[in-house]
Amino acid sequence: MSDLDKINTDNQKCSAGVSRRKFLQMTGAGLAALSFPARSVFAQAPLAKPNHPPKIVWILLRGALDSLHTIVPRFDEQYKKLRPKLSASFKSPLLPIAKGYALHPALKNMHQLYQEKSLLPIVAVSSGYQQRSHFDGQDFLESGKAEIDHDSGWLARAIDVKNKSALAVSRSTPISLRSSEHVNTWYPSNLKNANEEFYAALGHLYQYDEALKENLASGLKVKGLAAHENDSKKKRKGKFIDLTKVCAKLMLEEQGLDCAMLELGGWDTHNNQSNRLEQKLTELDVGLAALKDGLGESWDNTVVVIGTEFGRTAKENGTAGTDHGTGSALILAGGAVDGGKVLGDWPGLNPEQLFEQRDLMPTSNSFSWIANVLVQHWDFSADEIRQVFPDTAPYNQKLV
Amino acid sequence: MSDNTNSLVTVSRANIAVNRFGYGARGHELEAASKSPKEWIKSQLLPITFSTTLPNSNDIFLEHAQFVKDKKQQKKSKQPAKKTVKNSARNNLRLMSIETLEQAINSPHSISWRLLDFFSNHFSVSANGRLMTGLAATLEREAIAPNLFGRFEDMLLAVEQHPAMMIYLNNEKSFGPNSRQAKKRKVGLNENLAREILELHTLGVNGGYQQEDVLELAKAITGWSVKNPKKERSTGFIFRAHGHEPGNRKLLGNHYKQQGISQGEQMLRDLANHPNTAKYVCYKLAHHFVSDHPPKPLTDTMESTWLKTQGNIKSVMVSLLNADEAWLAQPQKFKTPREFVISTFRALAPAKMKNKALINAFANLGQRPFSAGSPAGFSDNESDWLGASALMARVDWSANISAYQKRVNAEKLMTIALGSSVSPHTYQTVMRAESRQQALALLLMSPEFQRR
Repeated sequence: MSDLDKINTDNQKCSAGVSRRKFLQMTGAGLAALSFPARSVFAQAPLAKPNHPPKIVWILLRGALDSLHTIVPRFDEQYKKLRPKLSASFKSPLLPIAKGYALHPALKNMHQLYQEKSLLPIVAVSSGYQQRSHFDGQDFLESGKAEIDHDSGWLARAIDVKNKSALAVSRSTPISLRSSEHVNTWYPSNLKNANEEFYAALGHLYQYDEALKENLASGLKVKGLAAHENDSKKKRKGKFIDLTKVCAKLMLEEQGLDCAMLELGGWDTHNNQSNRLEQKLTELDVGLAALKDGLGESWDNTVVVIGTEFGRTAKENGTAGTDHGTGSALILAGGAVDGGKVLGDWPGLNPEQLFEQRDLMPTSNSFSWIANVLVQHWDFSADEIRQVFPDTAPYNQKLV
Repeated sequence: MSDNTNSLVTVSRANIAVNRFGYGARGHELEAASKSPKEWIKSQLLPITFSTTLPNSNDIFLEHAQFVKDKKQQKKSKQPAKKTVKNSARNNLRLMSIETLEQAINSPHSISWRLLDFFSNHFSVSANGRLMTGLAATLEREAIAPNLFGRFEDMLLAVEQHPAMMIYLNNEKSFGPNSRQAKKRKVGLNENLAREILELHTLGVNGGYQQEDVLELAKAITGWSVKNPKKERSTGFIFRAHGHEPGNRKLLGNHYKQQGISQGEQMLRDLANHPNTAKYVCYKLAHHFVSDHPPKPLTDTMESTWLKTQGNIKSVMVSLLNADEAWLAQPQKFKTPREFVISTFRALAPAKMKNKALINAFANLGQRPFSAGSPAGFSDNESDWLGASALMARVDWSANISAYQKRVNAEKLMTIALGSSVSPHTYQTVMRAESRQQALALLLMSPEFQRR
């Protein structure tokens, strides 16, 4: 049994009971906890109002984020030895957070969120996927089952359990949101709108074709909501910051749209990593800030989950980059997050501490963390969690 | 609601030949195919050629080297950059993409162009960065098209040694840790190309290889690189012996004692003829040409042809076209944006096409050439293209393009594009449209035209 297998089965063994206990807490003591603002001492955030239902935004970083260059373990003696060039490549000082970690200097807004206790990095995580293929790794992380299911995603199952609906900011539905019928997709278009009569005629044309009929109906609905964004004369459509802005707007305007998914690619930094990550992390950082601004008061009852398919090699490669690895990071953000701390056990970077002597060894499972969020933020019971993650049980940490 | 038998349609065999296997009917193709659809489509597996007036990968390299040099000089002399120089990479990409599209639109044997597109997507490269922007489109022209109806192993070798693939997947700077080069300078192994060869180009992700196999293949192809126009004063593939990892290798249990370039070449030839490669590529072909869930007897037949003919692509395609399972009379697939746009222009056959409008169509529908952004290429699944926003983009695009067709006769076009394979419901809806333009847009968006 590999170490990764162990992590996965350990989770499964110990946590069924834990989550049942957790469930009791949520229904019993949890209600009482809501009545006094314990955490507002730090956050000074107003308590969630009933008109701001709890929201979840899932951001998938496609291409495998190098967590060691993002949440830098500068306390680890091996870090600089493994990465002589990369560790010296930051253009401005690192942004310190707990336990001796530091955020990449491009993450200014996220560092601010951290200080407001709305950002919670979790280090050394893995979905349990054991190979190093982007596409399979992403599919695995999106599907959330022991065997990849290209037609069903964990977020889709989660919204179905709670009767919510979701927005995919994408031209087509990503695996994470496949299998639910309550998913809208939206992506900016450069095309002039057709006239209303044509849409009506199409409705008539599609009356016997279920797939076309349904997609036309939901397409028209979202189109109406994002109308003014579509008209904007922007030169480059699809910038992450613009996507997060519209995402926030659609989530606020559409009743019941309590969930969204965004994707950001470009993390596969086999070469020239320093410059490329500087740019990508800035994009992520300002995009997240725009999401926060856009959501307004709803941000206080939002959890953003930022994940990636796997990590990268602990050692830098011959082309000033890093290759496909295993352990990476999961980042939670949002007003609802009990942040300002770093979670996840640090496995160490000594050769014998690395996975297959090359990658950061994962010490916890991404799905268990996400399930932990679902329990605390969307009141999932143990049974409901099993419908989402049939093979993984939640952790029981205070995340929200 | 009227009776839904109104919406039923049986797709004729001529329609299947032209629309399922080809890029859609143009002119009198349906009529020509109707006498003997199977023989007609098989006779269309014909070689394709490109014009020689556009730059090749060598030209692109030289041009890029010059660009880098000019830019350095400009920096020194602090003069403003010349715009014409700057845009040539993008311009080359556009011209080459347009040529492929125009040929696909005008070709009397469009199945061959679809097959090119299939392999171009199988060996997907993306136009990221200035050099790759210029190079991306040269891969299908120089490595794929010449081997389109030959043996897969020849295509595989040509692709993996082509500068576009080398640079896209970082092999040009991958050197063996024990090579002479590594001892002199700090250079290292990059396993990216080797991994994608196994996962995407040959065996497939479940093809039975391990991480060690990735490493062994990566080491075997160390030193496979591209010439540096500045230093070597020429361009193209080069084997740098001093960067090659010395020693014997073992891949999938087989030993490779060759030294030098032939080690990796032999591995690629063996991989091309591996049964799991036959399985993986035949499945993908059937998935592309026939159905998202291709019937097992079909893929079995294709696989056995592959193994019998050492991966002769033409023979495999003939066995696909000979199989009854490929000719099911119900529509099997939702067109990708590329198929949709090309088939639209084939039906419309406009006298003139604006280059920019053509490329923009693909960009707006989510399939700009050489922008898959992943070596896995664009998806070939209905679920990835039939999303709400993807459909809305098609709807708006159809309305826009139809608005420019002033003298179009939708009924005539319906006959050209679909023949008799139109349901009464679609026929009536198109014929009752409020204008000629709306009738055309409805025809283009009809289930019969969207599916094949």
